[in-house]
Amino acid sequence: MLPALDISTSALVAQRIRLDAVSSNLANLNSLERDASGNMQPYQSRYVIFQTDEALETKQGAVGVKVASVQTEQIEPLYRWQPSHPYAIKDGPKKGYVAYPNVNMTAEMVDALVATRAYEANIGAMELSKNMAQQSLRILG
Amino acid sequence: MTPITGLPLTPPQAPALANPLAPANAGGQQFKNILLEALNQVNTMQGQANEAVQQLVTGGDVNPAEVLTTLQKADISFRMMLQIRNKLVQAYEEVNNIRI
Amino acid sequence: MLSGLFNSTTIPALGEVLNFAQARHTVLAGNIANVNTPGYRLRDLSQTEFQQRLKEAITASRTSAQAVSPGLAYSEPGDPMRQVRSSLENLVYHDNTNIDLEKQVAEMTKNHLLHNFALTVMTDQFQLLQSAISERV
Repeated sequence: MLPALDISTSALVAQRIRLDAVSSNLANLNSLERDASGNMQPYQSRYVIFQTDEALETKQGAVGVKVASVQTEQIEPLYRWQPSHPYAIKDGPKKGYVAYPNVNMTAEMVDALVATRAYEANIGAMELSKNMAQQSLRILG
Repeated sequence: MTPITGLPLTPPQAPALANPLAPANAGGQQFKNILLEALNQVNTMQGQANEAVQQLVTGGDVNPAEVLTTLQKADISFRMMLQIRNKLVQAYEEVNNIRI
Repeated sequence: MLSGLFNSTTIPALGEVLNFAQARHTVLAGNIANVNTPGYRLRDLSQTEFQQRLKEAITASRTSAQAVSPGLAYSEPGDPMRQVRSSLENLVYHDNTNIDLEKQVAEMTKNHLLHNFALTVMTDQFQLLQSAISERV
């Protein structure tokens, strides 16, 4: 009954995962993380990739959404001159600089707002679907 | 599913008027057939409605709104039939009470 | 004769649907209550299994000559609808480690709609029988 409810639910789950990614980015504005080779690198922003979910496809062609993957950005970090820092770069052209995460706080906040609005819109759609089903019971008077 | 509009609300008068010497049973026979056919239609509609509900609760691919509409149509045609039957019984009793 | 009165309607099947919807509501409410419990495994009642059993019970009741009636105390021992009730006791466990609260609430909503639908149709069927009995439209 009512595949629209399943579709809206998939959107709620996807938007919440997106909000999780944004929260992670904002929380780790100044953190380091360990990369694949074991070195401490500055934190790179995470972003989600949405994709249509064919498992939730109806006969009329309405599809749900799912998070295909959570990707990590690969952008240049910010450098600060801190020669006495334990993680300062030892040699090369950036000697004495420390690499910090380059998270665009404004863009992340806007993303969070968009995710919240999308969440609310999907909840509104769910309310309307529920309402339609309840109202259709009035056919029986 | 044929709609129940095929049932005239008054018994057909035309054959009796056209041939007044014809036996009075002819009009009655036609009316009886119409009534039986209407009863069959109501029965079919009830069966269809039951079938639709059963398909919905056992996971069939039916629209709930359609099921409800089918149910209501069957309900209304049943109540219409019931009312017609009540009127017929009433008419019969009135005729019975005619004092000669 | 009286217990066979409901044979021709969908009232027995709808009664079983109501039972299922109420049992599933409790299970889903338990899931939502345990959203923060560590190590909790999601439970659910399998809707497909219930529908399968219901279909078999309906076909069985059409061919059997016995009366089919809902109600634990009043149904005959050979009542095909009794077999549907055993599907209400088989919990299905999911292996998810993170419970999606939205999914549980959505499942509860759908269950609620199914319950209301079955209740409304059943009430309507009862009213139809009553109007037939009382000869009042």
